[in-house]
Amino acid sequence: MNYSNLFKYWRTVLTVAEMSLRTQFSEGFVIFAIIFQPMIIAILAMFMLKDKGGDYAMFVVVGSGLTGLWSSLLFVSGNSINVERWTGTLESLVGMPTPFEVIVFGKNLANVVQSLLSMVSSYTLAAVLFGYSLTLTQPLLFFITLFISMFAFICFGLTIAPIFIMYRSVQQWENAMEFPVYIICGFLFPIALLPEWTTPISYLLPPYWAATALHGTSTAMMPLNQVLFSWAMMIIFSLVDLVIASQLFKIMLYKARVDATLDVD
Amino acid sequence: MNAIEVNHLRRVYRAQIGVFNRSIKEVVAVDDISFEVKQGELFGLLGPNGAGKTTTVKMLTTLLIPSAGSATVAGVDVVKGANEVRKKIGFIFGGERGLYWRLSGDDNLRYFASLYGVDPSVSKKRIPYLMELVGLKGRGNERVGGYSRGMKQRLHVARTLLHDPDILFLDEPTIGLDPVGAREFRNVILDLQSQKKTILLTTHYMFEADALSDRIAIINKGCVIAMDTPSGLKKHVSDLSVVEVETFGASETALEKLRALPFVDSLSIEDREQKQILLVQTTRGAEAVPDVMTALEGQRVGRVIVREPTLEDAYVRLVGGAA
Repeated sequence: MNYSNLFKYWRTVLTVAEMSLRTQFSEGFVIFAIIFQPMIIAILAMFMLKDKGGDYAMFVVVGSGLTGLWSSLLFVSGNSINVERWTGTLESLVGMPTPFEVIVFGKNLANVVQSLLSMVSSYTLAAVLFGYSLTLTQPLLFFITLFISMFAFICFGLTIAPIFIMYRSVQQWENAMEFPVYIICGFLFPIALLPEWTTPISYLLPPYWAATALHGTSTAMMPLNQVLFSWAMMIIFSLVDLVIASQLFKIMLYKARVDATLDVD
Repeated sequence: MNAIEVNHLRRVYRAQIGVFNRSIKEVVAVDDISFEVKQGELFGLLGPNGAGKTTTVKMLTTLLIPSAGSATVAGVDVVKGANEVRKKIGFIFGGERGLYWRLSGDDNLRYFASLYGVDPSVSKKRIPYLMELVGLKGRGNERVGGYSRGMKQRLHVARTLLHDPDILFLDEPTIGLDPVGAREFRNVILDLQSQKKTILLTTHYMFEADALSDRIAIINKGCVIAMDTPSGLKKHVSDLSVVEVETFGASETALEKLRALPFVDSLSIEDREQKQILLVQTTRGAEAVPDVMTALEGQRVGRVIVREPTLEDAYVRLVGGAA
């Protein structure tokens, strides 16, 4: 891939993201998934943690924002492939010269940007409804972490999308994939509370490193070397995810063309 | 070099049936199809429902992998060089699907232009030009969901021309359009033909294929059963005349009597609301009318005419009255 291609693909990613945002903001479910669901989770968590004081509020805000990020990637990105199939646009997209993974990257970017609203809605809820005074302990590191986390989530989402292309019925398993990631990646409570055997699984998932660094830079003074280590892990896993995703896309798209699953006919 | 070359293409669909006793059911959609399309030619693909037209187009547009055989488009193998093929072709599958209804017409085109890799400075000029070409000038800001079926079809044409491809695949593009919309659409196709585009058109409408195609392949049960120019195909029925009889609720017994007449080559029936048009292909021309009327004795009969055979009659004869 040469640089002019990279520039062209980046332009395509931005156009796909823009069109996805325009399309999705007219869907009620998306508004629910990115704004109301994280607010509900935030309310539940804040009631559960209210005896622990205001220090936990930022933890909940960041945690519920992460749940919105993951739900949005899983449901909106996954469902969008099935919606494209039902509306007949999946074939048009696959039949384009642009690699399909570039299109999905654009869609994931739109979903991640959207889901930042989850964090904003949880923040507003905690500040206004519960009256917590919310401040980030390491704002610069937090925002850099947020940027890297978005990239990590997008890449992680790319490894899941090919399964949706191949298997029409995988949608039924989305719920089963939603909560385990909340738990095992420490979105709403530390993974130290989980059985020890689950820890290696957490370490293998980029959302865990995103959660660790985001919580660490927003609610505590996370040492710089630990923040840098989390960033490195997210970048390494993102690159690994990109390699895995490109292979999975190749395999699954070929298989979808063999099995004729690009359309509903 | 031919624009499209198809060699013994075959496609089998496999479906899993049963819950506990699972087994694989195989359906042969395309059995053995071969043809070539020259550059700048408008090639029609005709056939009854389930003949394998759409499956053939999907294989040629890289959306399905053939089970056997090979095909090249613009000299590139459709399996090995799928991405190269995609840059050189445009395709439309009939119907309203395949567009983003929540976006405007212009935004749909901007989106697809980006996916075709068209430079934004080029697409900025090309989108208004194409909207005008397909008769949607001034409607680009409206949501596609509010477009009529004909407008959506025309937007499909604009979409497929965004990257100015040399080869177009139009799969039943006029299906479901009203007569005025279909005529306007055919004018767009004629315009594309005048620009020396290579077009592979599949259609159910014989007059459309007759009026537009340079050559036609008739396919049935996944095989090519005839391939010629429209006038060449009509020669298959040059010895025949067609007696058209308007009936109202003709009984099955009367139709069986009609079929049994020795000079009836084939009989097909077109349902038009409460009446049926019986199309009797015969070698006896007007002389057959008295015997046809005798066979239909006791039935309510309207207008009777004898006419020369059309491409549709050739098609009916070749497909065996299956249309």
